[in-house]
Formats: sequence, structure tokens, C-alpha cells
Amino acid sequence: MKRIPNEEDCDFCPAFPAKECLSDNVVPLSQFKPGEKGVVFQACGDSELRLRLMEMGFVRGSEVKVVKHAPLKDPLEFVIRGYHVSLRKEEAAHILMEKPHGRFDEVT
Amino acid sequence: MAKRLNIALAGNPNSGKTTLFNAITGARQHTGNWPGVTVEKKEGVVQFNGHQMNLVDLPGTYSLTAYSLEERLVRQFIVEDRPDVVVNVVDAANIDRNLYLTTQLLEMGIRVIIALNMTDVAEKQGVMINARKLSRLLGVPVMPTNGKKGAGIDDLLGGALELAQTDPPSDENRPIRYAKDVERECAAIESEIHLLPEAYQGLPKRWIAVKLLENDEEITKGVQGQPRSESLLGQVRESRHRLRDRFGDKPEFILTNARYSFISKIIEQSVRRTMDDRATVSESIDKVLTHRLFGPVILMTALYLVYLFTFQGSEPLVNAVERGFSRIGDLAAAVIPPGPLQSLVVSGVIDGVGGVLGFTPLIAFMFLAITFLEDTGYMARIAFMLDRILHAFGLHGASMLALMVSGGIAGGCAVPGIMATRTMREPKERLLTILVAPLMNCGAKLPIYALLIGAFFPGNKALMMLALTVISWAMALLAAKVIRWTILSGPDAPFILELPPYRVPTVRGLITNTWDRTWMYMKKAGTVILTISIILWAMMNFPSLPEDEERQFVAREDRITSAFLSDPSVARVFKSQGDIIRFNAAFRQLEDANGQNPEGRKPIFDAVATAIDDAPGMADGEGNRVEASLDKVAEAYFAYTDQIMALNGERRSVQLKNTVGGQLGLALETVFRPIGFDWKTCVALVGGFAAKEVVVSTLGTAYSLADVDPEAADSLSERLQKEPGWNPVLAFSLIMFVMLYSPCFCTLVMIKKETGRWQWVVFAMVYTTALAYAAALAVRGIGVLLGAEIS
Repeated sequence: MKRIPNEEDCDFCPAFPAKECLSDNVVPLSQFKPGEKGVVFQACGDSELRLRLMEMGFVRGSEVKVVKHAPLKDPLEFVIRGYHVSLRKEEAAHILMEKPHGRFDEVT
Repeated sequence: MAKRLNIALAGNPNSGKTTLFNAITGARQHTGNWPGVTVEKKEGVVQFNGHQMNLVDLPGTYSLTAYSLEERLVRQFIVEDRPDVVVNVVDAANIDRNLYLTTQLLEMGIRVIIALNMTDVAEKQGVMINARKLSRLLGVPVMPTNGKKGAGIDDLLGGALELAQTDPPSDENRPIRYAKDVERECAAIESEIHLLPEAYQGLPKRWIAVKLLENDEEITKGVQGQPRSESLLGQVRESRHRLRDRFGDKPEFILTNARYSFISKIIEQSVRRTMDDRATVSESIDKVLTHRLFGPVILMTALYLVYLFTFQGSEPLVNAVERGFSRIGDLAAAVIPPGPLQSLVVSGVIDGVGGVLGFTPLIAFMFLAITFLEDTGYMARIAFMLDRILHAFGLHGASMLALMVSGGIAGGCAVPGIMATRTMREPKERLLTILVAPLMNCGAKLPIYALLIGAFFPGNKALMMLALTVISWAMALLAAKVIRWTILSGPDAPFILELPPYRVPTVRGLITNTWDRTWMYMKKAGTVILTISIILWAMMNFPSLPEDEERQFVAREDRITSAFLSDPSVARVFKSQGDIIRFNAAFRQLEDANGQNPEGRKPIFDAVATAIDDAPGMADGEGNRVEASLDKVAEAYFAYTDQIMALNGERRSVQLKNTVGGQLGLALETVFRPIGFDWKTCVALVGGFAAKEVVVSTLGTAYSLADVDPEAADSLSERLQKEPGWNPVLAFSLIMFVMLYSPCFCTLVMIKKETGRWQWVVFAMVYTTALAYAAALAVRGIGVLLGAEIS
């Protein structure tokens, strides 16, 4: 399974110089389904996107819940730190979540 | 002694900042733009305890990183204008993320007071905030406020006044302290800062150090020109390197993380949450409004209602303005003798001002609707639901509103449509929306469609209109995609859209905002539109006919008149030219009073003739009653007036051909020959640059017809059907061309105002006209392939 939408992004991503983001311990937020919750491990991507995501509260340890899809499946709506925010799948794929136990195994 | 205090309001979008600002300043406020950009700047004055306070409502931002225009403006204002106190409006119900901006404000070493807003909403959601504790932890005063009810304002202003008399917070007492390694590097950088860049003098060195450590573009640039900056920048590089090695990430991210850790600690100590995960009212509403099936249906209904409200709601006012101006025009025409001066005043100035003011109710209604959508929180949902489609074409979910208003449903207007993009924050997507909005079917294009469809596709009116709506959408989206690929290429702006809770808007907020935006239109666009409309009027009227040609027309008219008067059978009613003039006036008056007579002109003629016959001095010398039928006279009279009208039409047509606009049309004929447009069509298209509906009346003039009413151009329609060279293919080419070619100048003025650059105006003119040309040519090509006969 490819975790990052575009591996080229990783070359510019300061979050994981050693590309440990490609390990099996993280899952991108874009793979979460409505109703599911998780904890942010790290936002990645180019500096601007990453900083903006972090400033909006997507920092390590924040709890995120997926509320729903838009009617056409994209973008997605999340609750984080008590407020609602919408991201496209594209952006959500840049938020790596701590891997919950016992889930996603069938996907891997 | 009374002192003027400068106070700035800073806060997140949706924090209730502007509502609070309105509550504080009331009516004593005005809105302008930040220099050079279209972000609105609201300022107000308030007297408090004998002090005058000048308030500025800064744009809502989530941070001060200076990625977005708004963030740059806020930071620049704090750095350069040095407000005495910054009031940081914090939404209590969303305190976590709101405090992020607070941490950045605190780092700037300025006097900050927190307005803890909407605590009532927070409490309903089970969020209890201990304001005193929060104040102690942050080291700044915290005042609970309620912008909607106007509560807590005196305490807030009192707090600000008191704070303004203290020294700015000292570095030693700063509440935010980073990890030891970070602090050490900050100190190291600080010790290398010998001289602050001029703009930053008065701000603490520590803030500069933190920004340098974060690799902040603006500050780094500002420092580069300073003496001995090499050693400082060397230190920064070294520090950044060390921190990266130590923490495995760049300092800007380490610090962002650290600020949130600081916030988490503060929240832990000062905020109590009694309930969690219980759906709020807002979330329940959202379940319906963004539902998979109901959501899109409600959305389309809402967009349609905005459209109806904007165009039909404002209609009575628009009509009243138009009626008012046509009355003023009549008045002026009665006072000023006919000639160029009358034409300038009536057709140039009064129609021009009427044109500007005619838009005003439209714009006011649209902004009222848009402000309502924004203030309720539904606007964000529109973007949320439609982003998938529009993003595919390089646009943004929020582009929808502008496209709809511009004519997404046939009959809009691009002038308010372009203003509607003010709700968009992404610069590239906003520019793109502005550039393609004029391709939609605005109301002014409809009379042309109606004319040509009526003449050449009479059986398929509804189908044609539907097809034209689909085509204009397809063209706009296609153009967006191509522009995005080419001149506006580059990565998309990240889509990070807050979905604020639904709120009931305040009446004051709606009215103030609508008024501000409408006034901005009148002030900024109005004058330019007036000037250009006068120039265009001149282009279509000057130079007037050379005198000898004018004399020829007069001579021909005289010949026709004397031939008519010399007819013995008319002598009973018409003896002299004076009789004709009087008769014409009486005839027109009766015609106006009775409206269109289904039996034609004859009954009116009889009535006028009889009335005049009774009048003393008009009856024949022997006082005989008119007994014989007037039929013969009527016939001769109508033949005479038709001749005169044809002559006048010819004169106008020749005159039009002679004007600058006419000459331009003639010159363009060569360019448009491949599509088959003659000079008459070309000059009509030139006229349409003033406003698209002018195409119809100019075409009428060019075809030597009497005044053509764009709403009922039956005579023109018949004329075109008979005209050689006109056929359905040519008509459809012209429809396509009118749909797509250069936006009218009012729209271009808006493009200039909203993008700030002439280059985009030129681009919009050129690309749309090129597209129009290509489309019209394609229609002709397809027509030929399908075997249509083209002369």
C-alpha cells in the first residue's frame, strides 16, 4: 500500500528526512471512514501545507474524528480540538495518524 | 488629559470579531480597503471615559505566519502602525485553536487584552472557562464579552485603557517558554542582533530572533540589508541546523508544536468540559443541510433563492431608478434644445449616471444575500459541497456563488458576480473565478439571444435557451481549466476550510456589511463607469455627419414633405408644415395615451383629424364639417410618415457609419469576414462593449430602423429574416460570439478594481474575444459541414 499520494512530495517534506513515514506504523487520515477517530502522528508535505495544517491544530497528539464526506465523497469533514474543518482527500493524505491496533490490517 | 488611543481588533475568522467591533463602534465606523488590496478595512471611533479610541478591525486570521494576504496585513499593521493595545477576540467555544493566534500575538511583545467572546455558546456546549485563571496563565487581562448582546464592552474598553497606561510586557515575564535548547538558540541569535531593521524598532529582539529561527521570509529579508547581518544570519543558520539535528525537524514546526503544547497545558488548567461528544444543535442542522441527498437539493434551492432575491428582489428598485432617470432625461430634453449638448446630457451623462445607479440596488441585494449566507455559516457548506466539481476545473468550491450571480442561471450580471468573489480567500482561485465569470449568460445578453432565436429558431426557444446555458457553463469551466494549466499554473492552494457552527446573523451586522460593500461599489466603480460611458457615447455619436451630407438629407426630407403637401386631397387637414408638426404631436400624444392599438394607426388618425377639424382655424374656410371619409388623407399621411421614418433611419445608419464606432465596425468587417459578420454586426458588437443589450439597438440603427426597443425587437427580427446573408448558422455564430466576447466595460472596471491590475483587464478582453472568435468560426465551419447554405 502506498501511503503518500505522491512520493515526490516526500523529497521536499521536512517531517521525515529518513522517510520513516513509509513505515507500517502510520496511516494517512484520508483512509479513515466517517465516524472513525484517531490521533495525529505527524503532518507531512511541503512546508506551507504542513505549517498551515499544524497551525489549524493538526499537531502530534491531537484527536481527530471524521464526521462525513461531502455529497460527492470529497472533501471530508473533521472535528479537531473542538471545531469542524474540511480538507480535501489530497490534504488529508498528508496527515499521518498513529496506527490504531487491529484495524486497517485487511487493507495493508 | 484626554489621549487618543489606537486599538486594533485581531482574531480568528468566525470568532465574532466584527460583531463585537460593530457593537463597540455602532454607527461611528466606516469601511475602506487596505492600501492596494481589496481586503476590507473597518475603522471606527468611540468615546470612553473622556478618551477617544480609534478602533481598527483587522482581517480575521488563524495565525501571523504571513502566508496569506490577510496574515501579512495584520502583522504589517501591528509592526508599522503600533496600536497602543491589541484586543484579541477569542471564541470561547473554540478556544484551543483561537489561542494559537494569541500565542503569536503574545510573542510580539505588544499590549494584548483578550475579549473572551461568546462564553454563553461555549457554556451551552459544556465548555466552562475560568477567565481569571486564563488571565493569570497568559499574563494578560481576559474580559468576557458578548458581541451579539453588546455585553462586557465597558469592561473591555476599561481594561484596554488601563493596559495602555502600563509599559509593554517585558521579556522576562513572557508566559511562553520553549524547550531549553530552543531558548538557548533564541538567546544566541538575540545576542547577534545589534541593530533592528527600522520597521521593527520597538519590537522585542526576542520576537525577531524567534521569527529568524522560523526562517520567516519577511523578517529574514528585512535583516539582510542591516549592518553586520552576515554574522547574524550565520548564527541563524547554525541554530536552525543544531535544532534540526536535535529534534529531527525544522524549527518552525518544532515551535508550532510547542505553542500547541503550551495551549494544551493552559486549557487543562483553565477550561472544564462537562459534556463531550454530544451533538450540538449546529451539528444536527448540518446533518440535514449537507446530507448526501438533501444537501445538494437544498444547495441548489438556496443558490436559486439568492439569484431570485438579487435580481427579482431588486427589480422594483432598479425599475424605479431607471424610470427616475428616464424622467430626468425627458426633463433635460425639454429644457435643452436638440443638438449635441442635449445628446451629451441625456444620452451621455444622465444615462451614464443611471447606469451606475441602476446597478446599485442589484449589488446591495446581492451583498445582503451573501452576507446572510456568510454570517449563518452556510457559505462554507456551499464551498464544501461543490468543491469536488469546481476543483476539477482549477476553481474552488466558493467560486460557485460568483458564477451563479454572473449568470449561471441565465440572466445574472458579472458586475456583482465579480464582487461576490470577495468571499474567497485563495488568491489564485479567486482570480480565476473573476476571469471566467463574464462568460456566463448575463441578463444583457438575453435580448440578443431572444432576437436571434425568435428570428431563426422560433420553434425551439426553450431548448435553445437550455443549450446556451449549458454551453456557457462548459465554456467557463473549460476556460478555467486552460487558464489554470497555462498562465495560472502551479500548485493548488491547500483547501483548509473551517466549517463554523451555524449562527443566527444580527440585523445590524447584515445591514452594516451590505451598506459598506455597496457604498464601496458606488464610490470606487461608479466614477470610472460614468467616465467611460461618456467616452463610449461620444464614440457612437461623433463625428457627426459632414454638413453637405446633412444638407442632402434635409433637402430630401423637404422634397418628400412638399410632395405630400402638394397633394390636393390632403389639403383639408394639412396645409402647411406647421399643420404636420402639430398633427404629429397630437398623434403621438394620443398613441402614448392609448398604448398599442390593435386596429392599427387608422382610428387614432381619425380621432386626431376630427379633433383638429373641429378646432377653429383648422377647418376649411367655409366652416364646412368634414363629411367625406378621411380614408384618402390617412393613406397619404401614413405613406408620408413611413417615407420620413425610412429617411431618418437611413440618416441614422449613415451617421452611425460615420462615427468612430462605425468606422471601427467597418475596419473590423475584414477581420470578421471569415465568420460572415458585416459592418452592421461589427458596429453593433462595438456598441455592445458599453453594455451587451446595446447590440440589439445598435443593430437596429445600423439596419436603418426606427428606435429598436431591445425588449420587443419584432421589426428587427423580421428585417433580419429577410436580409440576405442572414441564416440560422450566422445567427448562431453571432449568439456564440456575444456570449463569449469581451466583457462589457463595467465588468472590466470591476476586474481592474478587484484584481488591482490592468494586465488582467487586457487579458480578460483578449482571451474572451479570441475564444468568441474561435467558437463563432467553429459554428460556421460545422454549419458548412452540415450543408447549410451560406452566401
